[in-house]
Amino acid sequence: MTTVITKTVTKICLPLVILFSISLLLAGHNNPGGGFIGGVMFASVIALTYVVFGLDRIKSFFNPDWGNWFAFGLLLASLTAFAALAFGHNFFRSAVEFLHLPFFGEVELVSAGLFDIGVYFTVIGSLLFIFKNVGDDR
Amino acid sequence: MDSFTALTLAVFLPFVLAGILPVVEKVLKSRIGWYASAVALLSFVLVSQVASSVIHGENIQGSLSWLPSVGIDLSFYGDGLSVMFGLIVSGIGIIIMLYSNEYMSMREDLPRYYQQLLFFMGSMLGVVFSANTIQLFIFWELTSITSFMLIGYWRGRPLSVYGATKSLLLTASGGLFMLAGFLMLHAMTGTFDIPAILQSESTIEFIKGHELFIITLILVFIGAASKSAQGPFYIWLPNAMEAPTPVSAFLHSATMVKAGIYLVARIHPIFSGTEAWFLLVSGVGIITMVAAGFMAFRQTDIKGILAYSTISQLAYLMTMYGYTTYQHPGIGVAAATFHLLNHATFKACLFLVAGIVAHETATRDITKMGGLRKEMPITFVLAVIGALAMAGIPPLNGFLSKEMFYETSLEMGAELGAPFTLIIPAMAVLGGVLTFAYSIKFIDGIFLGKRPSTSLPDHIHDPGWIMILPTAFLAALIILFGLVPSIPVHNIIEPAAEAIILEPLDLHVQLWHGFTPALMMTIATFLLGILIYTRYDGIAAWQNRFNAKHPMISINYFYDAAVDNAKKVTFGFSSRMQPGTIRTYVTALLLLMLVLFIIPIILLASDIIPSSLNFDIPLYEGIVFFFMIVAALGAALLPRYVPAIISLSGLGYLVSLLFIYLQAPDLALTQVLVETLGTIIFLLAIVKIPQKFKEHITPALMTRDLLIASAVALTVFVLMINATQGIVPPFESLSHYFIEKSLPLAGGHNIVNVIIVDFRGYDTLGEIAVLCLAALGVYNLIHSRGEEE
Repeated sequence: MTTVITKTVTKICLPLVILFSISLLLAGHNNPGGGFIGGVMFASVIALTYVVFGLDRIKSFFNPDWGNWFAFGLLLASLTAFAALAFGHNFFRSAVEFLHLPFFGEVELVSAGLFDIGVYFTVIGSLLFIFKNVGDDR
Repeated sequence: MDSFTALTLAVFLPFVLAGILPVVEKVLKSRIGWYASAVALLSFVLVSQVASSVIHGENIQGSLSWLPSVGIDLSFYGDGLSVMFGLIVSGIGIIIMLYSNEYMSMREDLPRYYQQLLFFMGSMLGVVFSANTIQLFIFWELTSITSFMLIGYWRGRPLSVYGATKSLLLTASGGLFMLAGFLMLHAMTGTFDIPAILQSESTIEFIKGHELFIITLILVFIGAASKSAQGPFYIWLPNAMEAPTPVSAFLHSATMVKAGIYLVARIHPIFSGTEAWFLLVSGVGIITMVAAGFMAFRQTDIKGILAYSTISQLAYLMTMYGYTTYQHPGIGVAAATFHLLNHATFKACLFLVAGIVAHETATRDITKMGGLRKEMPITFVLAVIGALAMAGIPPLNGFLSKEMFYETSLEMGAELGAPFTLIIPAMAVLGGVLTFAYSIKFIDGIFLGKRPSTSLPDHIHDPGWIMILPTAFLAALIILFGLVPSIPVHNIIEPAAEAIILEPLDLHVQLWHGFTPALMMTIATFLLGILIYTRYDGIAAWQNRFNAKHPMISINYFYDAAVDNAKKVTFGFSSRMQPGTIRTYVTALLLLMLVLFIIPIILLASDIIPSSLNFDIPLYEGIVFFFMIVAALGAALLPRYVPAIISLSGLGYLVSLLFIYLQAPDLALTQVLVETLGTIIFLLAIVKIPQKFKEHITPALMTRDLLIASAVALTVFVLMINATQGIVPPFESLSHYFIEKSLPLAGGHNIVNVIIVDFRGYDTLGEIAVLCLAALGVYNLIHSRGEEE
C-alpha cells in the first residue's frame, strides 16, 4: 500500500478531506452531513495516513491522545444538554438564534450545533483510539 | 445570593470542585487536603446562609426544570431538619479533611481519597436537601457508592474489599426497597414532591387510611434500617471499619449512617401516630440498641468497639423517633434530634482519637494497649471527654440528651400502660448501662492501667496539631453544648424538631433540673454500669465461647453463605450462557429474531407475499443486486479471511450505491465511510491470527446452520416486502411529524440531523457514551490480555 502514488495522493487528500469533514459538520443542520459523518470522515483520513505511512512513523511527529478527544466530545455534548437547565428550561432544550452579519448574510446559531460538535469529537476520538490501539498491538 | 441559589451551590459545588481536584493536585501536590478542606468550608458557609433564613422561620424551596414530562424536577428544600444535617455534614467534613492532612501518608493516592470524600459530601448534602423522592434516591445511592469506594480505599487488602462489597450489597439493595416504597407513595398521592405531601394534612390523612400504608412504611423503613445499620442489617458497619479512620469518623459514625435516621425523621409526619410506626421503628431500635451494646464487649479492635457503639447509638435515635401515640405523634422527636447532634460530635471525636492512637501505636488491638495517658496526655484528655459524653456523665452534652431519652421512655411507657410502663424505661436503662461499660473500657483499655512494653513501639507521643486541633474542636463543642445547651437547642434543635412534628415547639434544656425520675435512672445507670464493668472481660470471654460453639447463630454466617452460593450459581449460569464460541451467540440471536419476526408477520400481514407486489426493477439496480448476491456468496464461501473480508466490504459499498439510487446521500456517505474504517480495522486485527479457517465443521452442524440462516433470510425477506408495501399497520409513519416540526422547532432543514441532535438528543448522548465505552473496552481487552501473559 505504500507506493509513491498512494503517498502522494494521501498527502493531497489529507487537508482536503479534513476541510470537507469540517464543512460536513457545519453544514449538517440544513444539508447532508452532521457530526457523525464528519467525524467518521476525519477518522478515516487519519486512518489512511496511518496505514500509508506506517503508524510508528506518524506517531513520531503526530501523536495526540485520542482518549482526550472523545472525553472532550462527551463532556461538551453533556454540557450543552445541561446548559438548558441553567437558563431555566428543561434538560436538552435547544435554542435557535438567527444573526444578520455583513458579508455572510444570515447566519444561524443553534445550540444543537454545539452538541453536534461534541458528537464529532467523540466519534473521531473513539474510532481513532480503537484504531491506534488495535494497530499498536503486537 | 438568594438562599435557594446558595442551597443548590452547596450541593453541586463539591461535585464540580472535586471534579477539577486532580488538576489542582498538580499544583498543590501533597497539600491537596487543604484544598478539600476549603471546599468543605465553602459548603458550610453556603449551608449557614440557608440556616440563617431557616432559623428566622422561612423554609427554602425551589426547583429547576429537569424531567417535567414525568413530574420530576431538580428541586431542593431547606427546613430545620435538613439544615441541621447540612451543617453536620459540611461541618464534620471540614474537620475530617483537615485531620486527614496529617493522618494520610504522602505516599497514598491522595487525589482519589479527597475526591471521593468530596463526592460523598456532595451526595450527602444532596440527600438531605432533596425535595423529591426520586432525586433523594439518586443521591442516596450515590452515598452508598462513595462509601463503597472509600471502605475499599486500600484495594489490595482482602478485608477492605470484603467490607466494601458487604456495605454496597446491603445499603444499595436497601435503597432499592426504599425506591419501591417511594413509588408506592407516588401511587397513593400522585406526587414525588416531599414538601407537597408534608404540607397537606388531607394527603397525610389519606395515606394513613390507605391499604398500602403498612407495606409502604415497611419498604421505606428497610431502606433506612439498612443505611443506618439497624436490625439484621447491622453486619455491614463493623466490616466498614477497614476504611481509613477519618472516613469511618465521617461516613460511618457522623453522617452517612445517619441518612437512615434522616429518612425516618423526614417521613415521620407521614407515618407516625400509628401502632405500625411504633412497633417497627421503636421495636427494631430497642432490640438493636441492646444487642449491639452487648456485642461491643467482645470487640478487641478499638474501631470495632466504636462501630458497635455507633449501631447502638443510632438505635437510640430510631427508638426515640419511633415513640408515638395517636395524641402525641412525636414524643421523642426533640430528644432524638438533640441526641443526634450530640452523637455526631462525641462519636466523631472518639473516632478521631482512635485514629490518633492507631496512627501513633501502629495497632488497633486494645489488648495490646494500656497506660498511654503519660505518653499522650492531650489525646487522653480528648478521649476522656468523648467517652464520658457517650457514657452520659454530666456536664457533657451526652448527659443532657440521655436524660431526655429516659424522660421520653418514661412518658412512652406511661402512655402504653402496664406492663410497658416498666419494660420500656428498663430497656432504655439497659442500653445506657451497656454504653457506660464500653465507654469506660475505651478509656481504661487504651490509656489507664499498665503499659505493656512488648506490644507497643518504644516512643509514643501526641500527634502534631493538625490532628489534635480538629479533635479538640469537637471536644470543645461537647463541653459547650453540655454547659450552655440553649445555644444548640434554640438555633438548631428547635427548628429541626419543628420541621418534624410540624408545629411550634419551645424546648427548655437545663443541666440541673431537679431530682426527676430520669435523674434517678441516670444514677442507676452509673451504678449498674460500674457493676457490669467489673465483669467486662468475663462477659467478653463468655461471648467468644458462645460464638465458637454456635457459629450458626450469627447473621454474618447467613450473609456469607448467601454470597458464596450466589457466586457459585451465577458462575455456573454465566459459564453455561457464555461459552465463548461466536456460533452459539449468533444462533441464539438469530433464533430469537426469527420468533420475533414471525409473530408480527402472521398476525398482521394479510398475505405472506402481497399480490400487489411490483418486481419491475430498473436495469442498473438489477446489476447492483446481482453483484450484491455475488459478494455475499463470496463472503460466506471464500476459504481465507482476507478475500472474505474484501468481499464483505464490497457488499457494503454496493449497498451504499443503492442508497444513492434511492436518493439518500446521508446514508450513502455514512455507509461508505463506516465500511472503509470497518474493513481497515478488521484487516488490522485479522493479520495477527492464522490465515486459514481451522475449525472443523461437521456436516450436521453445517446443515443446521444453513437451515437457520435460510429461515432468517426468508423471514426478513417477507417482512421487508410487507413493510415496503405499507402492510404493517397499525403503526403510523412518524416522518410527517418531523418534516413539519423540524424547521419551526429546531431551525434545521436536514431532518435526519435534526432528529439526531435535537429531537432525539438524549438518545444520541447515550449512543456516543456507548461509543466511548466501546473504545475503552477495546483498550482494556487489548491491554489486560498483555498483563496475563
